[in-house]
Amino acid sequence: MKSIFITFDISHKEKIVDMLTHNSCRGYSFFDQIQGRGSKTGDPHYGSHAWPSMCGSIITIVDDNKVAKILKDIEAIDKETPQLGLRAFVWNIEQQY
Amino acid sequence: MSIYESAVKKPIMTSLCFIAIALFGLFSLSKLPIDLYPDIETNTLMVFTYYNGASASDIENNVTRPLENTLNSVEHLKHIKSDSRENVSVITLEFEFGYDIDNLTNDVRDKLDMVSSSLPDEANTPIIFKFSTDMIPIIVMSVKAEESQSALYKILDDNVANPLARIDGVGSVSIAGAPEREINIYMDPIKMEAYNIPVETVSSIIAAENRNIPGGNFDVGNNTYSLRVEGEFKDPRQMMDLVVGTHNGANVYLKDIARIVDNVQERSQHTYIEGQQGAMIIVQKQSGGNSVAISKAVKEELPNLQKRLPSDVELEIMIDTSDNILNTVNTLSSTIRDAMIFVVLVVFIFLGRWRATVIIAITIPFSLVASFIYLFATGGSINIISLSCLSIAIGSVVDDAIVVLENVTSHIERGSDPNNAAVHGTNEVAVSVIASTLTMWAVFFPLTMVTGMSGVLFKQLGWMMCIIMLISTAAALSLTPMMCAKMLKLQKKQSKFFITFYKPIQKVLDIIDIKYAIAVNWAMRHRWTTLAACFGLFLVSLLCAKGIKSEFFPANDNGRVGVSLEMPIGTRIERSQEVGLRLTKLWMDRYGDQLIACGFTTGQADENNTFASLSDNGTHIISFNIMFVPSNEREKSLEILCDEMRADLKMFPELAKSNVMLGGSQGGGMGGQSMASFEIYGYDMETTDRLSKELASSLREWEKVTQVNISRSDYQPQYIVDFDREKLAMHGLNLSTAANYMRNRYNGALATYYREDGDEYDVKVRYEPNARQSINDIENIVIYGSNGQPVRIKELGKVVLNEMPPTIERKDRERIVTVDAVLAAGTALSDGVNYGQAIIDKMDIPAGISIEVAGSYEDQQDSNRDLGQLAIIILVMVFIVMASQFESLTYPFILMISVLFAISGVLLALFITGTNLNVMSMLGSIMLIGIVVKNGIVLIDYTMLLRERGLGVIQACVGAAKSRMRPVLMTTLTTILGMVPLAVSQGVGAEMWRPLGIAIIGGLTVSTIMTLIYVPAMYGIFAGNGIQNRRRAIKKQRELQAYWNENKETEQLKGKDKKH
Repeated sequence: MKSIFITFDISHKEKIVDMLTHNSCRGYSFFDQIQGRGSKTGDPHYGSHAWPSMCGSIITIVDDNKVAKILKDIEAIDKETPQLGLRAFVWNIEQQY
Repeated sequence: MSIYESAVKKPIMTSLCFIAIALFGLFSLSKLPIDLYPDIETNTLMVFTYYNGASASDIENNVTRPLENTLNSVEHLKHIKSDSRENVSVITLEFEFGYDIDNLTNDVRDKLDMVSSSLPDEANTPIIFKFSTDMIPIIVMSVKAEESQSALYKILDDNVANPLARIDGVGSVSIAGAPEREINIYMDPIKMEAYNIPVETVSSIIAAENRNIPGGNFDVGNNTYSLRVEGEFKDPRQMMDLVVGTHNGANVYLKDIARIVDNVQERSQHTYIEGQQGAMIIVQKQSGGNSVAISKAVKEELPNLQKRLPSDVELEIMIDTSDNILNTVNTLSSTIRDAMIFVVLVVFIFLGRWRATVIIAITIPFSLVASFIYLFATGGSINIISLSCLSIAIGSVVDDAIVVLENVTSHIERGSDPNNAAVHGTNEVAVSVIASTLTMWAVFFPLTMVTGMSGVLFKQLGWMMCIIMLISTAAALSLTPMMCAKMLKLQKKQSKFFITFYKPIQKVLDIIDIKYAIAVNWAMRHRWTTLAACFGLFLVSLLCAKGIKSEFFPANDNGRVGVSLEMPIGTRIERSQEVGLRLTKLWMDRYGDQLIACGFTTGQADENNTFASLSDNGTHIISFNIMFVPSNEREKSLEILCDEMRADLKMFPELAKSNVMLGGSQGGGMGGQSMASFEIYGYDMETTDRLSKELASSLREWEKVTQVNISRSDYQPQYIVDFDREKLAMHGLNLSTAANYMRNRYNGALATYYREDGDEYDVKVRYEPNARQSINDIENIVIYGSNGQPVRIKELGKVVLNEMPPTIERKDRERIVTVDAVLAAGTALSDGVNYGQAIIDKMDIPAGISIEVAGSYEDQQDSNRDLGQLAIIILVMVFIVMASQFESLTYPFILMISVLFAISGVLLALFITGTNLNVMSMLGSIMLIGIVVKNGIVLIDYTMLLRERGLGVIQACVGAAKSRMRPVLMTTLTTILGMVPLAVSQGVGAEMWRPLGIAIIGGLTVSTIMTLIYVPAMYGIFAGNGIQNRRRAIKKQRELQAYWNENKETEQLKGKDKKH
């Protein structure tokens, strides 16, 4: 089992959820309206006067074999609209009940 | 879920909600009456008190004064005016606008109850009369007749007046100029004397013979019959065979001593239509009726009525107030249509996409139509004010939608899908959209609180604008994102049409962007020079202010002219008719086709004719009613035509007074010609007469004054029969019996009524006309003493010529004479007033007499003061809204100063176009406050955003300028171009709103150009100072900290020492 943390411009939300569904990944947790900025490029997402846009994040726990496909799809979405900002990070799940 | 999110998610609900609003609006529109002005509630009450037999000064002292003293304490009273005439006192109470007239009427009634006991016993109870605009006739018809002239009254009454009165909404229909039938029995004084039969006997015999008397019932067998005596005359000629007395044993018949004339009233008004005798039919509407609908119904009925009339009677519409209203409303509607086309074009040129243009354009009809619901709910009407409000609004309603659409588009271009872009794009600008609507509200809401005459006009406008702005914001936050989500998409490939058509436009816009950025860059580096230049221009424009003339309200060219002429008092009707006919010929020859109708009425009005007796009438008074073709079909303006007519009248030396009234009725207030009025207060009639004549003649010398009227009329000549009471007593007579005898012989004794076909006609007995022509005739009147002995008037007293004092006018409890100077076309009211003031300053005014400027100048001053207060309130409100939005006091201050440039723009525009400053142009200037600061807000807001993103002051300003120039230009151009049709329209009524359009265009153009340069420069100064101050503060802090770190111990010790 792997955990994928996807953080993105809020307007990506529906696409990401659709993509996860498409990859038969049912469970996820969504954090709405959070602030953040990219490490290298990308506008800050502060919801402020200067930077009005906001981020959203999703954590989903998937089987190992699905990870590659999901990351590939995420990359495709990001390539399509590079200005909005979309990143995903994967780490291991140690235990679950 | 926010409103825009749910709107995007529920497109059906959103669109249907707006369709529902539109449907309600259209339904309301179909029910709205059409009128020229908003309903101006009446603010005057009149109190009539009859006191028969009292002279003007008696009336003044015994009736008018006590009434005035009591009525003066009624609340909200503005002015109290009175006319004390022979037999009657008329008090006019003018109240402040905006109070319920019914409550005021009750207050007045209470006060009258208090005072009525102290009035003279003979005086009648005071009558309260409410005058409202509804009493102004809506249609005047002219009737030409030849053979039917003598029976015209009956023909018109039966066939025209009665059917018309049945039309829904018609209040009253009166016939003027057609005398009513009257049966005159003319007695020969010599024969009467010979047979010793007085008028009274004849009249009582006729009355006694002309009776039907029921004799009760009686039974015959099984039946009951009623018994009657039917003596009423079947034919007037039967009266001639009455036995009126005996002489030497023989019967004297009426025909022996009198002749009967079955004709018309002796004293009556005569009307001439285009030189031919006829009559006028005056139609008044019921209170609150829809003039346009009523006059349409009346016109539809006309052909039917014409069929019923004899062939020589010709019925024509002479004055139709609805024509002017409809023409005006049509002109205004077409300017609204033009404005809408302009706005849509501007949006299309700037956005370059038809989908975006449709999204923006659709908010226009929805917001505008919604305001009709308000009008319908509050009983308003479609009028100049509500329509110009729509015209003004068109440019502003799209602003919010443009801001939203722009941001959504940029989201889409960044890659969001339309649904998300719509929600998030709207979310980002929602606050600033609401803030900009609040600034508009800050401008228009105070308008709803204006009082006075201008309040009547602005209240509706204020509410309508507030509602339109509310709906447009609601649409921008729900309908626009919804439509963006559905209609917009990322354009990946440009169409061929788009490339050929739009590329050049885009190129031009790009060049403007770059040029502007360079200009701002320069201005940022030469801040003080830029500021000095801007304020220099402001000062120059202030110089222009000297060249701008002021007036109260633009004159409304409705094609109507009323001319009221007075021959010397006592002129016979034949003489007046002749002058009237000569003038008719003169004007008909000169103006020909330009003239639709030209008719005049002269003569003494019948007491029964309320409409005629309300206005001045008499054998020496000629009143013309003239109607020209609509203003767009003729070259000369109505003002010039009036001036020409005045010049003509100067060639008639026989006229004692002449008054040409633009618009058909007196009153410089709304829509009339500029008139400078001077009020001379003072008790002594002779002095005030002298002063008024002096002032009038000095005013007449000025070539810009075309006509001067003095309100006080001349002394009226009259004959007085001065009875000797002792002689009367010797013959067993008293004064009233003797006077009654005289009245019966001259004025006539109403013997009875002759009945025919259900109508009643007066039967009057009096002397032959040729026996009533000289003082001799009066002196020879025979009256009978108590013993039946005949005696002549000359044996009882003498007949002397006397002069009757004129009406005594008072205002605010002082005697007054008003001198009105009508100014030539193109002369401003302010000039007239100044000229008059200069004359007054030179005049030697005795103590106790004061001369004041009044009339429309006073109204103008009042409304200027009101508007001035309003402007201050609006400025403060706008400041509050902006300061709250920016959370700063300096930035709003920068923007408030840009209002100065709007003022200079207005002044320049008025100066260049030669337009007068009046209520309409002031209204435009006030509205500018909101529109102008909106541009500044957009600029400053984005500059602040860039600074927050870490840019330097200059970069931020240049960047903001470059990026925000298009939206600013776009919203400004929509407003300016929306106003262009108003400013250039030439149709009927255009002179009313042209100043409004010119003021807004001028103010907005100048202020936008100035704002685009001035705001960055001023921002630079403030921001630069801010940075320096902050640096200084930081430096100080740092130094202090360093000092503290170094001397920590010694400083702490110092503190401890002090404690010890």
